[in-house]
Amino acid sequence: MNLQMNMDLMEKLNILSAAAKYDVACTSSGVDRKGGGKGIGNAIAPGICHTFSADGRCVSLLKILFTNECIFNCAYCLNNRDSDVKRAAFTPDEICMITMEFYRRNYIEGLFLSSGIMVSPDYTMDLIYQTIWKLRTVHHFHGYIHVKSIPGADPVLVEKTGFLADRMSINLELPTSESLRRLAPCKSRSTILKPMRQIQNRITDNKQELTVYHKAPRFVPAGQSTQMIIGATPENDFQIMSVAEGLYQKFYLKRVFYSAFVNVNGNSLLPALPGGPPLLREHRLYQADWLLRYYHFQVSELLSEDRPDFNIFLDPKCDWALRHLEYFPVEINQASYQTLLRVPGIGYKSAERIVKARKRNSLTFEDLKKMGVVLKRALYFITCSGKMMYRTKLEEDYICQNLMRDKTQIPRDIREGGYRQLSFFDKELHADFQLTDSQILSP
Amino acid sequence: MYIFLCEDTLDGIFTGVYDAWASRYGHNNVALTTQVLDNYSLFDEYIPVQTDYEKSAKVARTLKKRMGEEVYGELCHAASAQEEDPPKKHSLNKADAIYKTIVLALSLPDSSKVLQYLGEPYVNRVFSLSRRTGNEAHHLLGFLRFQELENGILFAKISPKHHVLPFLGEHFSDRLPQENFMIYDETHHLAVLHPKGKGFFITDTQDLDSEMLQRFSSKEQEYQKLWCSFFENIAIEARKNPKLQNQNLPKRFQKNIVEFR
Ligand code: SF4
Repeated sequence: MNLQMNMDLMEKLNILSAAAKYDVACTSSGVDRKGGGKGIGNAIAPGICHTFSADGRCVSLLKILFTNECIFNCAYCLNNRDSDVKRAAFTPDEICMITMEFYRRNYIEGLFLSSGIMVSPDYTMDLIYQTIWKLRTVHHFHGYIHVKSIPGADPVLVEKTGFLADRMSINLELPTSESLRRLAPCKSRSTILKPMRQIQNRITDNKQELTVYHKAPRFVPAGQSTQMIIGATPENDFQIMSVAEGLYQKFYLKRVFYSAFVNVNGNSLLPALPGGPPLLREHRLYQADWLLRYYHFQVSELLSEDRPDFNIFLDPKCDWALRHLEYFPVEINQASYQTLLRVPGIGYKSAERIVKARKRNSLTFEDLKKMGVVLKRALYFITCSGKMMYRTKLEEDYICQNLMRDKTQIPRDIREGGYRQLSFFDKELHADFQLTDSQILSP
Repeated sequence: MYIFLCEDTLDGIFTGVYDAWASRYGHNNVALTTQVLDNYSLFDEYIPVQTDYEKSAKVARTLKKRMGEEVYGELCHAASAQEEDPPKKHSLNKADAIYKTIVLALSLPDSSKVLQYLGEPYVNRVFSLSRRTGNEAHHLLGFLRFQELENGILFAKISPKHHVLPFLGEHFSDRLPQENFMIYDETHHLAVLHPKGKGFFITDTQDLDSEMLQRFSSKEQEYQKLWCSFFENIAIEARKNPKLQNQNLPKRFQKNIVEFR
């Protein structure tokens, strides 16, 4: 191990931010906290993006590792004990200083602190706890803090940290325990799920405490999240989404993040992915995740053993609607909120607006447009006062062809940024869909 | 038609609302505008509104009480929006849209529900104007950058389209109560000043000491460098995507952001 003493702060920051970048969660959302006139900092529930990095992702938190040293050997990770990389470690004071100075200048919303495992899980977790404790009590920092819990750390340390952090996460890493055994032999489902359960139970108890005594200290008020790596192991979308659904329902997670696998170290256990990271697949999983969280869908409606993967060419909601034309068209001026939620092109906010606005007068297509409904998608599935927007057929092939002509089915950034990747998918799926490239990619 | 000509500020518009209401010409016979008209119609009567902070405050109080903080906030956002220049055909002037929305709200059993009436063109106008200001203000909560001056004051420069300064002043006063800071809006030539431990105020920037604003603290450079190198390190090379980056962080903001300069 080549840990260097007396490295300057700039070099440490370089190493320990580069090492943290594969953790995708960077949101600062989920908690509202006023500044209160003393100290520094507050928190805004919808979250705030401070900048966008060269890969187009929102940067909201100072996302760093405490150290990139590690005694574990996860195959997909550049910090594993067998990697030949330069190692560094911050001190708690260094992290406090950078956080405070960045925050004052409005570079960041707060801190996202994660770490490799130095000496032992407890040793590392304790250093993380000390850092956060200093920030909160010595520097009076009231901004957002997200801490990644170290698998295998003492529950007491986890609990103490949870009273100082806004959000905690423990990464599930891989969707099945079998993959975990193969690629991350030092971790196990139980060292991951146990603390997840502990945090969940503590959050639930804390809610009770807060109803009795509203000044009780708050435990992880922004909830907990986790992350799965997509495409490093052979699980299909159905398996992945079923795991996510389980985490939402049984562990009350706030968010599940999906991270398209990037092969950083050429490990032979891992796929090479010549087409680059599976960004489009990741995108479809996020879309489906939204359908679970905001649109009352269940995984079993979207996928099945026989259809285990999402349609690459259509977003999951359009895809679902095409297979359930018997529900359509729905009448905008009458359909229930739940029904509106299932119409492609109608978001949950527009659905709310529709339900409220139609009380006063019945709505037209023009009104829908103003409320943010994407008509080019919705028009096949809706009527306004009994009329469709154009004469169209309610027929799967016909609608499917038209929907696919809409290039926004594949988000612009993937269309333009990841063209190579698309053509990689095209070859594989071409036969199934009998589509030409021009149909997929033409404007 | 009686047309009330108000100043294009929140207080100007609220004073206009007060005067129009008090005039008793009947809601159907009055209109408000913030536009400087170059064509006066012979059939209308024009009434210049003298901005009056007391009247404006009365209107604000009533609105908050009757419609709640949320709707009040939306109306303020709408009033602070910069309208299209030149105005689009058929687009309602914001002052008039605000007035008519208030009239509708006060006629409802529950005034706080007024923004649900999106089928009404003036409510729709208020909604979309408010969204524009709200979006820009929200962007700037994140995109604004302070620099530390030699005298310890934190200084930020912004160039917003809409009059978002009051919203930023409020946000940063809550966030940085123990700092002396200043936010300079170069579009509207106004600045928020926040003395440590006190409330903020807005002032015009005629006698801004531009020389003082060039003298940074000795540490400032160092932190800027640290931040810029963090910013470069955090991007994933395999996902590089400048188009997405520019789409999410529009170019017009970039000139005031240290990591893009
Ligand atoms: S525990 Fe595994 S994933 Fe985490 S730093 Fe160590 S090797 Fe990497």
